Amino acid sequence: MAILENRYNEETLTIIENFIPKIKQCLHNTDFQEREDLEQEIKLKIIEKLATVDFQDAPSFWDILS
Amino acid sequence: MENQKVEEFFYRNNEQVNNPIIKSFLSDSNNLYLVQQAILYPTEHNKKLVDESFQLHYINVRKIKYVSNLIYFFSLDFDKKRRRLQNRALLILDKGLSEEGGTTAKELMEDASVGTGLDYLVGGGLLDNIEDELLLKSLQKLTVKQLQILEMIYVKELSIKDIAHTLQTTPQNISNLHRKALNKLKTTLREKEE
Repeated sequence: MAILENRYNEETLTIIENFIPKIKQCLHNTDFQEREDLEQEIKLKIIEKLATVDFQDAPSFWDILS
Repeated sequence: MENQKVEEFFYRNNEQVNNPIIKSFLSDSNNLYLVQQAILYPTEHNKKLVDESFQLHYINVRKIKYVSNLIYFFSLDFDKKRRRLQNRALLILDKGLSEEGGTTAKELMEDASVGTGLDYLVGGGLLDNIEDELLLKSLQKLTVKQLQILEMIYVKELSIKDIAHTLQTTPQNISNLHRKALNKLKTTLREKEE
């Protein structure tokens, strides 16, 4: 269980790290005083969503290709 | 023979292979190898390996897409919320004066350090307020510093102490310059009258 959790945390971390340029870019959608707040909020939201949203229903490769 | 079989398979599924998600899946050489193995040796085990790998890939892509959208829309929502809150609790100075907004109280505030009201507009200088030509001419003979001091004393009605402070010197010095200026004025006026 602990190992699984660890792997999950690492995965979340890499996703966030890979998305940092995108986050920085989206910070321009708000006032410059709010940017630090927004950055933190976005990261929190990503963590929250990755933990709660279910991504598990992938189709089978052989169903798509005959 | 082997290559032919693989090629045939891809040819048959040309449309699906061009699907972005399949394409990106096959662009990984490991995945491509697994698929080739499954085509050549279509055992349950080989097929299962492909499926597992594909599902991981698929989930990953979905996550990335999801997070990408999340960041973008969340930043927009965040700003909207911020604006709404800000408009609801405006600082008094930031509020518009009329219903339509436009000018704010902040914009109408005066800078007290700049001369006040009409004096500032009309030109409250000492020389602007002199009507007597003789006096004007004699005043023009004074030094700039003396004129400055006379203006501050008689037009702006500042105290000697204040003037000393603005000119960064001592009150005694101001007093001195003031007296000298008056004396000079007196003598030049006398000369002209004669």
